[in-house]
Amino acid sequence: MGLSSSLLKTWLWLTGLSLLAAVATLAPMARWVLAAAILLLALLKARLILARYLDLYRAPGWLAGATLVFAIWTVLAFGLYLIPVLMR
Amino acid sequence: MSAQGGLEELPGELMMWVLIVSELLVFAAGLTAFLAVRMTDPLGFAEAQDHLYRTGAALNTAVLISSGFLAAQALVWRRVEKRTHARVALVAAAALGVLFLGIKGAEYAGKAAQGIAWDTHPFFTFYYGLTGFHAAHVAAGVLLLLLVAVRDAPQNIQTAAMFWHMVDLVWVLLFPVIYLLG
Repeated sequence: MGLSSSLLKTWLWLTGLSLLAAVATLAPMARWVLAAAILLLALLKARLILARYLDLYRAPGWLAGATLVFAIWTVLAFGLYLIPVLMR
Repeated sequence: MSAQGGLEELPGELMMWVLIVSELLVFAAGLTAFLAVRMTDPLGFAEAQDHLYRTGAALNTAVLISSGFLAAQALVWRRVEKRTHARVALVAAAALGVLFLGIKGAEYAGKAAQGIAWDTHPFFTFYYGLTGFHAAHVAAGVLLLLLVAVRDAPQNIQTAAMFWHMVDLVWVLLFPVIYLLG
């Protein structure tokens, strides 16, 4: 059928990262470490979708900018998650 | 590089990017508000979250990223004039979108059976608001994919696929925050 190898690789990466997130939720680790891992995996998946599904790899400057914005939001989300954990 | 040159680098329609950024900002604001309100009652939010059907939501992640792959592949095929392949891929992507909605519907029905509504707890207000708004986008995306399977100019397919990838992108961020961060 002539599947695109780069798209297939992207799909495999996205599936692998999703499985990794599912496995991480079962692993014995501190909640804040799990939260950091889950958000990091989500950030990686977002970058893959931006780069390969939305074709931003053709515009590296825009891809870097979008990744930076997503990374900043991820840090903000983690910070908001962490505040009640630290106050317990 | 001029500003205009910068914008010209973007693949696809500029207006689609404006829409994508707008939608991402709305969902990011919603998720940020969710996490901010969670700070007032972290235990209540964690307890409410335990009522969610995480396996179904994880399955829906696999469904959406696979659907996104098919939509992206459809554009590749259409550009090399494999129109039938492209149409089949678009219909398959739409079918996976319908499957996503079916799983989501089962999840909502499960909540209703437990007597859980949008006003049961602030957690569920955000849960129904954000996942419901996302599901509405999935439904719109399914219609768009089916539309461009018929009107299959490459530019049409690219526009619909971009919308679909935005829906995928939102879910990739929404799923961990709503379902997993306990």
